[in-house]
Amino acid sequence: MKKIVFLLLVSLFFPLTANAKDFLGAPVIPQGKAIQKTDSRLELKTLLSHDEVVSFYREALKGFENIKFREWKDATYIEDDGKMPWHSITISKGGKESTDVVIVKDNWTWIIWTLVLRYIGVFIVLMILFIGMSVSGKIISRSVQRMGAKKAANESS
Amino acid sequence: MTANEILDMLYGTLHTTGVFNFQWNVIIMWGVGCLFIYLAIAKKYEPLLLLPIGFGIFIVNFPLVPLMGDSHGHPQLLQVFYHYGLQWEVIPCVIFLGLGAMTDFGPLIANPKTLLVGAGAQLGVFITFTGTVLVGFTLKEAASVSIIGGADGPTTIYLTQHLAPQLLGANALAAYSYMAMVPLIQPPIMRLMTSVKERKIRMRQLRPVSRQEKLLFPLVTSAIIALLVPSVIPLMGMFMLGNLMKESGVVARLTDSAQGSLMNIVTIFLGISVGATMQADKFLSWKPLFIFSLGLLDFGVCTIGGIVTVKIMNLFLKEKINPLIGSAGVSAVPMAARVSQVEGLKYDKTNHLLMHAMGPNLAGVIGSAAAAGMFIAMFD
Repeated sequence: MKKIVFLLLVSLFFPLTANAKDFLGAPVIPQGKAIQKTDSRLELKTLLSHDEVVSFYREALKGFENIKFREWKDATYIEDDGKMPWHSITISKGGKESTDVVIVKDNWTWIIWTLVLRYIGVFIVLMILFIGMSVSGKIISRSVQRMGAKKAANESS
Repeated sequence: MTANEILDMLYGTLHTTGVFNFQWNVIIMWGVGCLFIYLAIAKKYEPLLLLPIGFGIFIVNFPLVPLMGDSHGHPQLLQVFYHYGLQWEVIPCVIFLGLGAMTDFGPLIANPKTLLVGAGAQLGVFITFTGTVLVGFTLKEAASVSIIGGADGPTTIYLTQHLAPQLLGANALAAYSYMAMVPLIQPPIMRLMTSVKERKIRMRQLRPVSRQEKLLFPLVTSAIIALLVPSVIPLMGMFMLGNLMKESGVVARLTDSAQGSLMNIVTIFLGISVGATMQADKFLSWKPLFIFSLGLLDFGVCTIGGIVTVKIMNLFLKEKINPLIGSAGVSAVPMAARVSQVEGLKYDKTNHLLMHAMGPNLAGVIGSAAAAGMFIAMFD
């Protein structure tokens, strides 16, 4: 109860408190105080704990398709793989008195970079396989040669 | 019994037939089904798959047929095949087992640098992804469509079932159709991307590969794929198991089953199940048209990617690689390798590229599986 009263007071006294229901279609936590807002990014601070913010988003995004919650070490990362105008919501972990929430607009930079990285990733996988095959091939070729030489020596003796 | 009662009875009986439940859009699907049956029989384009797929499309698009729904709470015949075979992702993996049991990795082991060509040829997969998103597909759908260029049927089906099952029919059909058309699609691109001098490059005969190396290959590959791209290990693990069975030489009966009867059985179930997913009300939209157009672009860019990779490698290699084998970096085993051979022979009647092209061709299978794994990891 105390917490609710406190949050109500905070929302009354902080003029910067975000009262928009959503940012680019992404739900905005009602008690959040906007720290930075541009066309493509909204950063909020809230006195709610990380778990409370996550539960808010789990409830708010219930029924949305293509939404994925990822648990990172420092944050919970919510990603939209569908057609929403926003791309991600990052909820920080470990804040002592507040939790940071960052909502980022869907953008081509992310898509292009993730594709470039994954294409490079395919090269890396096959490069490692190439190295593994080359090394194991050399070792085996040598041991086969040695065994052949031994066999030949035994036969000649 | 009055005349009205008799008419009612007749009316009721007629309503249990397909004729009274007819919708115009199924005619288009009959046409699509018959087209693929025609391509399989008359043109011999991937007949093992296009024939059952075509028939699946044809038969499932008759009104009231109890094939893809539920009857009294029990799934109907093709629904059972689809559910256990494709939704459970069993069939693509079993097909990979059979393919592994058929495959000789000797050319790839003898010339492992061709693995990089298999990676380079995945360029189209990543470029088409962008194009697919631009035309309005979701990211998951885009990933499943873009893998078509990898020219690997089971991988396409596996990834599509995983990320965008609603596109399964169109994606599988596009993948197998374009794989069948590799001899038509690739040669003009190969000629465009290479000079006559490059096409005449002779490559040194491949070294003989010992049995030990062939035995170690599936283990090393499985370990590396399992560590780096674990999401595709159901596919690659089965592929490598099939190959280990073949190379070990001690389980001839299992190898025969895997590459023979088992493969044939699952191919029937795969074809008919894929065809059965293409019901008129789900299939007739703008998306399949885009999938077919983007798939063609994808194949083209993948072919270019393989050739350009060889050209880049040639800048650093003392012994040059014939860039015609770069096009084989798309999977389509062994069709793409045969295309390299045929194109090479046109410019030098004694320059046999088939075995050299098998290296990138097999690398393409691993490369497309790796690309699929990257996409699964991206969305899971």
